[in-house]
Amino acid sequence: MSDSLPVAKALEPIIPDGVLVRGRTVLCSGDAAMSTALLMASAPTQAGSWLAVVGVSDFGLVSACEQGVALQRTVLVTPTSNKKDWTSTVAAVADGFDVVMLEVPREVSESDARRIQTRIQARRNVLVLVETSRHATRRSVFQPDVVLHTMTTKWDGIEHGAGYVQGRLVDVTVSGRRVPRATQHVLQHVG
Amino acid sequence: MDKQITTRVAVISCTDWQAVAAQCELNSRKQWFDAVAVLHAQRVVARTAYAASQGVQIGMRRREAQSVCPELHIATNNPERDRLMFESVVRAVSELVPLVEVSTPGVILLATRGPSRYVGGDEILAQRLHGITYDALALLADGRPIAFGVGIADGRLTALVAAHAAHASADRYVVVEPGESARCLAQLPVSVLADFAEIDRDVVSLLHRLGLSCLGDLVAMKPSDLVGRFGPVGLEVHRLSCGFDRHPPITIAPPPERASTHRFELSVEDINVVVATARQVADELVTHLSNQGVSCVRLHVCMQTDHGEQSDRLWYQPEGLTAAAMAERVRWQMEAWIATRGLTSGVVLLRYSPVGLRAREGRQLGLWGGSTQADEWAARTVERLTTMLGADAVRVAQWRGGRDVSEAFALTPAAVVDMERRAETVVVKEAAWSGALPTPSPSIVYDEPLLAVVNDASGCVVSVSGRHELNAAPAQVVIGQHVYTVMSWAGPWPVEERWWDPLRQRRAVRMQMVLERHGDTSVRTATHAVVMVLEHGEWWMTARYG
Repeated sequence: MSDSLPVAKALEPIIPDGVLVRGRTVLCSGDAAMSTALLMASAPTQAGSWLAVVGVSDFGLVSACEQGVALQRTVLVTPTSNKKDWTSTVAAVADGFDVVMLEVPREVSESDARRIQTRIQARRNVLVLVETSRHATRRSVFQPDVVLHTMTTKWDGIEHGAGYVQGRLVDVTVSGRRVPRATQHVLQHVG
Repeated sequence: MDKQITTRVAVISCTDWQAVAAQCELNSRKQWFDAVAVLHAQRVVARTAYAASQGVQIGMRRREAQSVCPELHIATNNPERDRLMFESVVRAVSELVPLVEVSTPGVILLATRGPSRYVGGDEILAQRLHGITYDALALLADGRPIAFGVGIADGRLTALVAAHAAHASADRYVVVEPGESARCLAQLPVSVLADFAEIDRDVVSLLHRLGLSCLGDLVAMKPSDLVGRFGPVGLEVHRLSCGFDRHPPITIAPPPERASTHRFELSVEDINVVVATARQVADELVTHLSNQGVSCVRLHVCMQTDHGEQSDRLWYQPEGLTAAAMAERVRWQMEAWIATRGLTSGVVLLRYSPVGLRAREGRQLGLWGGSTQADEWAARTVERLTTMLGADAVRVAQWRGGRDVSEAFALTPAAVVDMERRAETVVVKEAAWSGALPTPSPSIVYDEPLLAVVNDASGCVVSVSGRHELNAAPAQVVIGQHVYTVMSWAGPWPVEERWWDPLRQRRAVRMQMVLERHGDTSVRTATHAVVMVLEHGEWWMTARYG
């Protein structure tokens, strides 16, 4: 098993080391969190890895397909609302999927988060956390290795009553445990 | 075709049970609604008789359903509730007939041979079953009548059709005399095959287009012709039309160790432990059966407790039960048992007896290539998750097509998809639909669209004329507590679907808008591009470019 998973061309200059290192946790936050997470999952699934999407409500399948996520290797899991079951569900998912995409419910404690991260490190998966604006106010209980905080600065193609959304410019701030000094990037996004 | 033996069965059927279960659950909280509909994936999947009489149909969207029936109460889909609510009916019936089969909540099947002789004939049995079910349902609904039907006939399909006919008409029950099944079925349209025997709707539609509009036409065909045109399904539809069971029963001598029994060393009270063990035993059984070249379509699950209580139930799955499916049936049976307080101590014995077998359609693996290690792991994990969470919680996407991003992909339970083979198929977005939003598509598609108010600069609500023209430029959007300023916008793009069908037609317009939080004074403010839909005079935020 190789030590890392490939990452989409657009993200190569942004992600530390230019690859998704196995065992790491990546948090996507900000207003372009979802599309950044989808972009992150696209290259590994095309290369043969499986993706589990756990508890991500409102997951846009068409957009995932357009961004290059191989949907034939994608499974959507709806965990029960019970907290104990949630942790065991995520642990079970980590056994069989290389990439685990997760939206963290409100009631997950720090010890649960730590248990899951240990599991991820042991199983050598990649955990992608998606933080949509719904629970953005709260500090993450996870200790992400890489944090991609996104902020859309410009929408392309849409005007006052004309055109349509064609793309956007996103400011990405990269920080986290594995990033010694936070860096700023501009990402040309399509989704 | 040579002489076939079909078992005579009785069916108690309550169609749209999901809606009735939701209604009964509301009733237990002292609320009563005549019109209840159950929604799953934004579509009506079941509705009560009153709602149906008001024009609510299966497959409608929430807003369509509410517009034809404003007093409609919408309930979410909850298979657990359906099973548990039905359990009181099942328990009442099993006091007369101990061994019953519940393949889906709302339908009870039982073999009539023993019970009929015991009570003195099919007519009397049907009356007794009707009475028992009526009392059980009246208890759930505080005496309000709930429609259902009882049917007795040779073979599953005929009995189901008979029960449904009894439900639809004012009759309490319908008994089809022995040997009359084929004659009774001959007049019926081929669509009953899809409704009651789980034959693929595409096949049924093709039969119809080939001019075979009723089951009598199928009986008149030579089975070999049907097999030549449709493959194995051809034989199945012919057998069903003749009133036989879908698969020929296996008449070879049964393997000696068919039943597999597990005795727990200590009595087990934790349902998860029982299910995990059930899974292991099921694995052994399925391997054993597949070595014999058969798979199990009907399974008798028996559990006993320390105190001698026993729970028996038959389960049916026309495609054959996998090990995961068997374990799931054990979970259902045990949950129902706990809910009705039928057990007072831990489980000590679990026994599977496969009572219905069919020849297994083997799968030829590719000589090279095929599934990788990752595919195998994923397939195994999916099976495990299905056992843990239930089949509906683990799903995969299937391209279906449509103008709306929310309906372009259908989600099917992973349990019914061959996961090890799935990686070879390619699930892609096929050709763009005319009338769909231009790409890129929004990455957040709300399961529950958010109600919004769109105002123009003067504070009046923005509307769209019959010619799809905006009356004013949108300037402000209010969603719940939040107020947003419209930075830029595009559209409106009209959506006109099924205008030829007065009940299912849909008229709406879609717009894209870039919104900024109003009164946000920080230096950098986030802007959101969203999709807004105007339908029946109300604006909804249905998706966001997240």
